[in-house]
Amino acid sequence: MNALETLRADAARLLGEGRAKVVIGYRTRGKKRAPVFITDAAGAGSLVYDAACRQNLAAYLRKPEVRTLLPAALVASPPVMRSLVLLAAESQIGEEDVVVLAVGPASEGSGEWRYHGALTLAETARLLKEKYALLAPRPELLDQIQSLAAVSVEERAAFWHEAFAQCTRCYACRAACPACYCTVCLVEKNVPQWISTAARPHGNYAWNLIRAFHAAGRCTGCEACEAACPQGIPLMLLNVLVAEEAAEAFGIKAGYDLDAEPLIGSWSADDEEDFIR
Amino acid sequence: MKIVDVDKLSDLAAALAAKGYRIVAPVRDGDVVRLKQWKRGECVVLDAFTVNSVKDVLIPPSEVIGRYALDGDDFTPEAVAAEAPKTVVLAARPCDAAAMAVLDAVFNWDFADTFYNARRAATTIAALACRQADEQCFCTSVGGAPDSTAGADIILRPADGGKRLTVEALGEKGEALVAAAGEVVQEGEAAADAVAEVPVRFDAAALAARLAENFESPLWQTLSLACLGCGACAYACPTCHCFDIQDEGTRRESVRLRNWDSCGFGLFTQHAGGHNPRPDQAARWRQRVMHKFLYFVERFGRLACSGCGRCARLCPAGMAMADSCAAIEAAAQKAAKR
Amino acid sequence: MSGNLYEASVMRIAAVREETPDTRTLRLEFADEAARAAFSRAYRVGMFGLYGVPGAGECALCIASPPTRDRYVECTFRRTGRVTAALADREAEQRITLRGPYGNAFPIDDWRGRDVLLVAGGMGLAPLRSVLWNLLDRRAEFGAITLVCGARTAADLLYKDGLAEWAKRGDVKVTTTVDPGGETAAWRGKVGLVPAVVEETVPPNQKGVAAVCGPLGMIKFAMPVLVRLGFAARDVYTTLENRMKCGVGQCGRCNIGGVYVCRDGPVFTLEQLRKMPAGDL
Repeated sequence: MNALETLRADAARLLGEGRAKVVIGYRTRGKKRAPVFITDAAGAGSLVYDAACRQNLAAYLRKPEVRTLLPAALVASPPVMRSLVLLAAESQIGEEDVVVLAVGPASEGSGEWRYHGALTLAETARLLKEKYALLAPRPELLDQIQSLAAVSVEERAAFWHEAFAQCTRCYACRAACPACYCTVCLVEKNVPQWISTAARPHGNYAWNLIRAFHAAGRCTGCEACEAACPQGIPLMLLNVLVAEEAAEAFGIKAGYDLDAEPLIGSWSADDEEDFIR
Repeated sequence: MKIVDVDKLSDLAAALAAKGYRIVAPVRDGDVVRLKQWKRGECVVLDAFTVNSVKDVLIPPSEVIGRYALDGDDFTPEAVAAEAPKTVVLAARPCDAAAMAVLDAVFNWDFADTFYNARRAATTIAALACRQADEQCFCTSVGGAPDSTAGADIILRPADGGKRLTVEALGEKGEALVAAAGEVVQEGEAAADAVAEVPVRFDAAALAARLAENFESPLWQTLSLACLGCGACAYACPTCHCFDIQDEGTRRESVRLRNWDSCGFGLFTQHAGGHNPRPDQAARWRQRVMHKFLYFVERFGRLACSGCGRCARLCPAGMAMADSCAAIEAAAQKAAKR
Repeated sequence: MSGNLYEASVMRIAAVREETPDTRTLRLEFADEAARAAFSRAYRVGMFGLYGVPGAGECALCIASPPTRDRYVECTFRRTGRVTAALADREAEQRITLRGPYGNAFPIDDWRGRDVLLVAGGMGLAPLRSVLWNLLDRRAEFGAITLVCGARTAADLLYKDGLAEWAKRGDVKVTTTVDPGGETAAWRGKVGLVPAVVEETVPPNQKGVAAVCGPLGMIKFAMPVLVRLGFAARDVYTTLENRMKCGVGQCGRCNIGGVYVCRDGPVFTLEQLRKMPAGDL
């Protein structure tokens, strides 16, 4: 059996054995891909996987309607696997809640993919460390970040002003991101109104920057936010910039360690900054 | 007949701009095509689907509807005028033009919204008949057509293999625009190109009755499971008009803003006391579909959907209004057979 | 007038009364006589307004005074969120805004000659006080008037002075109750949930009209009691509330199914309520 057939067979088996009540994967919808929630083993044949599958299915684990269907088996590429490990490290899911149907590139840069099997979270974390430890942002993103860093503050501000001018505050980025699971988002609080809800420059800056900061050390580079943005805003430039800073300054790369402490939720007595002491 | 060469569209835009029109047209913006203010030198893109709709011109994502000068705890109201520059939307899709009837009805229901009406009066729509449709289009399922003239002041029709557009004014605003265009629009002959084929995907008229019967159906849970509750579909939709009103300001001045909102958001109907009449996405998705295909029909006699397909193109989670409508129709037919 | 439908009238706070630890009533006077006259021409009891504090926002509340007393407008609210907190911080002589009146009204002209039962729970006494005052100001036109009014505790009752005053009149029967556990040593009224007290104190074979306002849960339990007491569904009225912003049927937020609370309501009959999708309430 090829990778897809094995994946489908595993999905059907998990449902049949009752080890998963739902399989969350991707199906074909015309020329695109869409999520599918399979509760009957017979439906496993609709599962597909390829590079067009850009949604991070781990985002569904915050939906109460999906949580009533746990345990769930999720089709997960390396960034999605990292999201699942992150959610476990942040106590949002446990081993008993998910089975990871782990997929990944067959070899560096090839369009082919391979199926690693139906894994536990612990096995997933191990797989990530063994095979996907060196995941890095796309070179084009790093290049663009470098170019932006090299220009004047005024030019950089103009770049981001233009980018955020398109933001309509649809929050598709937040909806698509598995790390955004707050039941009431900061922008939805109004006593006080921390961030303007209007699709205007100052609120748009605040929203996008603060979301990037709230994902600091938590973004797994799945790029679902940028894929979700209907306006084509280059969100990954922000998220990668913050992720690189988290890695360099704090040694944190999200989603590899089930016992990791969160970047913005932990501190150390040995911190080199003295304001924290 | 009046015709304009497709490669003279920028000249057309320039001629209209010189006569005081703000030009809004589909232009390339990075990886997307957007309906935005055209600037000299930009190319008008005719064969792509824009991420936004003509709604943006009539109801901006955020606008000031009230203004107060503040002085400690006291205030003085200040006048607010609608921003309504003379505008032409060049090469709007017919589905967008048709959608405006929905907005016209809502913003003049009992109370006339002077902000909307000012912009509506100041806007001329030059719709471009569609030569191409994609798999998300469904105008023909909701009473529309790829060459519909509903809501348009001018209809541009591709001709001579896409090299020319015929220009037909459909009323005063259209005629004024053609006059303003001057020599770029010429007299001549051209053979109209075939219009896009848009297969009918469901029966909207029958759907209303089916929706009325299926309020409690468990189908809503299945149909909405993929929905992540963002506002992408509502914001892109040319007929969606729900809005929020928010006060913002400094110690010296506050403004009352009207901002886009979406019934898909979790807190849309949240009461201050804690109760939420639509506590899950199934209830919210049901509201979206029923508002467009049943309630709006009951109140205003027309569908609140023009089949433009943007919701399906832009949804990050593979949701589509047409898919839900077709699924409800299929379920009703299956139930009827039993 | 600019024609801007969002332009609100400026109101001066003439008086403030703390009703309970977390609710208060503002007595408001129009800064502009022409605005007052226009409001008075349009207002009928049951309609609501959007009370605003520039910088904080607007909030939809009933108009807690009747058209028969049109030199002022009262509003009663509980401090719950951003705007009510701003309203709660205002003092007498300060100003707020009012937009309205909006919505539909209790058809009290149709109630002439009939008995009227008013059933109020908690904050529901605010709209019903407007109704009661309206009826009492035209007392001779109506039959027997009864008010059954309750709150969680004695301290939570609104309009304590008003309740005492109405009880003293000979032309309206007033029964007050608190939830079990809400009574104090000094409490002389009934103890029991409002629907139960209605069933206990109102005789059957009712032929008049009833209006019930209060928390949605209370309304749901009170409706079957009223039906058992003989009221026809088209003779039972309530007011519904929903999250509101524009108040004029355009922002799409307050609808229950296809019904717009701001425009088709807030006053509805039980007959109309039964046709609304329960899953949207």
